[in-house]
Amino acid sequence: MNSLATWFSRRSTASLTDSQRQRLDRLRDPAPLAEQPLLKQRFVVVDVETTGLNVSRDQVLSIGAVVIDQGGIPLGQQFERTLMREYRTPGPSVLIHGIAPSEIAAGDDPTEVLLDFMEFVGDSPLLAFHARFDQQMLTRAMKESLGYKFRHPFLDLAEMAPMLCPQMSKPQAGLDDWLELFGLQVQQRHNACADALVSAELALVLFNRAVRQQIENVGRLAERMRSWQRRQNAHSF
Amino acid sequence: MSKADAFAEAGKTAVLQNIQGTIEFLQKHPPFDQMQQGHLLRLVENCQLRFYAQGESILHPDEGPVQHFHIVKQGRVQGKRSHPGGRQDTTFEISTGECFPIAALLGERATRTAHVAGTDCFCLLLPREIFVELFSLSAPFRDFALRGVSSLLDKVKQRVQLHAVESLGEDYSLDTRLDELAHRDPVACSPDMPLRDAVRLMHEQNVGSIIAVDDQHSPVGIFTLRDLRRVIAAASASLEHPLRDMMTPNPFHLPPSATAFDAAMAMTERHIAHVCVVENDRLVGVLSERDLFSLQRIDLVHLARTLRHADSVQALADLREEVGRLVERMLAHGASSTQITQLITLLNDHTVCRVIELTLAEMGDPGVPFSWLCFGSEGRREQTLHTDQDNGILFEARDAAEAALLRGKLLPVAQRINQHLATCGFTLCKGNIMAGNPELCLSRSEWSRRFQSFVREATPENLLSSTIYFDLRVLWGPTDGCQALQKELLALIASNSTFQRLMAENALRHRPPVGRFRDFLVVRKGADKDTLDVKVQGLTPFVDGARLLALANGIDATSTLERLHLLVLKGVIDEKDGAAYEEAYHFIQQVRLQLHQKQSRAGLPYSNRLDPETLNHLDRRILRESFRQAQRLQSSLALRYQL
Repeated sequence: MNSLATWFSRRSTASLTDSQRQRLDRLRDPAPLAEQPLLKQRFVVVDVETTGLNVSRDQVLSIGAVVIDQGGIPLGQQFERTLMREYRTPGPSVLIHGIAPSEIAAGDDPTEVLLDFMEFVGDSPLLAFHARFDQQMLTRAMKESLGYKFRHPFLDLAEMAPMLCPQMSKPQAGLDDWLELFGLQVQQRHNACADALVSAELALVLFNRAVRQQIENVGRLAERMRSWQRRQNAHSF
Repeated sequence: MSKADAFAEAGKTAVLQNIQGTIEFLQKHPPFDQMQQGHLLRLVENCQLRFYAQGESILHPDEGPVQHFHIVKQGRVQGKRSHPGGRQDTTFEISTGECFPIAALLGERATRTAHVAGTDCFCLLLPREIFVELFSLSAPFRDFALRGVSSLLDKVKQRVQLHAVESLGEDYSLDTRLDELAHRDPVACSPDMPLRDAVRLMHEQNVGSIIAVDDQHSPVGIFTLRDLRRVIAAASASLEHPLRDMMTPNPFHLPPSATAFDAAMAMTERHIAHVCVVENDRLVGVLSERDLFSLQRIDLVHLARTLRHADSVQALADLREEVGRLVERMLAHGASSTQITQLITLLNDHTVCRVIELTLAEMGDPGVPFSWLCFGSEGRREQTLHTDQDNGILFEARDAAEAALLRGKLLPVAQRINQHLATCGFTLCKGNIMAGNPELCLSRSEWSRRFQSFVREATPENLLSSTIYFDLRVLWGPTDGCQALQKELLALIASNSTFQRLMAENALRHRPPVGRFRDFLVVRKGADKDTLDVKVQGLTPFVDGARLLALANGIDATSTLERLHLLVLKGVIDEKDGAAYEEAYHFIQQVRLQLHQKQSRAGLPYSNRLDPETLNHLDRRILRESFRQAQRLQSSLALRYQL
């Protein structure tokens, strides 16, 4: 499997055009999470739809992303693209993401989409709900299609939310639970772009709470989340 | 299609997903529902979505010129006004789909009201430059923004009037100022001019009246064609006499700022056909009944006169339908609820007076001077077409024995009057608050004792009675007895804080039907499902509150608006609060009148139950705000009387 992935990676890198290679070289490294105030920092909130839940086998079908900048969501800056995949038998996940095989067939070249996405991200940190899944899916896709090591930091809203709002009684609350708690409405659940937007709305609510809990910059937030995570793990033992 | 174009295209449709969703959200609300798709796209693409936690400031007067146009996407925003004591007061609420602050943006200034998140909320923020761009591009948006500058109620008025313009094809209203309406160069002459010359002047100028003015051009008299008939009929008269001997001295006049409505009311009340327009003691115009009619098509004066001269109760009853039609036309002309209730009261007064005169002619004069009193809404001059009888009789008697004797003479007359009024459409009072009831046909000292017992023995019935009887006035007959009674009453209440407190409790009994989360609290089931009571839940809080404060502060006016006005003048309530209460009261009354009008057209009985869903978006919003003002009045009473 490992060697296969390497082969894929090599093959894809080899198949990049000159201009794609130039774009790849120009991509920016992630900025360090530091003293930047939470309400000044640019974040990219991302949601991916995939062929399934297996991070080592399933493929990214679409990427939706919105931006949080200066404490608001600029609606003009959005990213949503479907990736063209050779994908023969629609599995059960088609029922969740609702992307028809015909749409996938009409999607864009994954290489182009991923380059566009990385240009959209720039050096910003990313946010997602259950971020590890989106992170792993994207990391593998970048590696396979671009031969690119995706090292941008992710902050997980699924962890940030219970840390900042301990009053949520439900353990392991899902995105829908949080949306309900804050009365947020999503236009079309399991559409990558709509999910990204509503996740960004959740993030705005959470940032507001964070600032009120004296967590005023990104570095501090990441640090608090790490120690909260450690405590959670300790409890579970 | 080249590859690059295809990407651009794909990127565009992808972006449209969330943008389109936001556009669809906006399209549920004015003015966005009227705007072109392209303009909406421009708007949304330039918007930024922000979150504000409950209590957080969104806009503040100290922040300098406003930089963004805000649209509430979710939650509620409150306008807060600070009072010198540091107390803050919610002056308005803005909910999902609504926008702010329009006037400040157009005026390139800071907001005057602090905007605070009333609940957790999300707002769309559009930069000022794009707001300005859309303002110039989109007519519906511009229209909305401009109208947003004036108060909400103006908006309603504009719409009502717009409707009237559409249906009548005429562009005037009862609010037209007299300086726009009256003849600019009225025919005038010296009072010393011989009558013959004056009449020649009238004939040459083809007018029905001539105004006699002094050297300062101040009107001293009026002479009309009607006067000329009288002169000619009198054998002794000579056309060589100076006008001074024949004219009606000190003609009635109004300032140029008065309205067509004021003039119509004055003509109706005073039975005159001409009103002089006078500015700084100089005659500047004259307005005739005919001018008003040709312009207004509202035969108010004529109707009043016909009522006053009707020769039978049946004729009066037949004229009541005319009153309904008149109200309909006035509503269509954009008359305000106050104008209409005043007018109905005035016409009802004429009807009642005429009924009394006809009854006295029919039964013979009982030989006892009496005053006909009216209570409740009639006493407050706030009648609608839906009218109950609430009346009584006041007479003077030396002692109890004489009072009983006189009562015996008056009661048959009073009872007959009550019946005749019922024939004319004034429903008999279920609680028997009618002059024909021996308990309400009282001498002045009997009334006085009765009122004292209301104030001293605060039983629930007495408290309820006080809300009816303490709004009283004389409708027919001498007024001095009633004035003395009112004076006594005010002194009694001013010195009795227990009674005031009980009245305050009573004024809090009916809570305005606004919810914390929902727009309106309505009945959940039964025959009245989904409705609220506009009168009891909307108007009564204002009426009760104004009555209490007026009685406690020595104000003898009975109409709610007049009471509020005088309370402001006396410094009992803040000027801005007074204006807001007044506006709210107006609007609720307007909604109620329109409801009655609709019921009458559908042949349904009058009812005050309203399903707010039958109102349009704007009216619903204003109604909610108006109820909120009632809440504010109630909480200020609770604070004042420490309830």
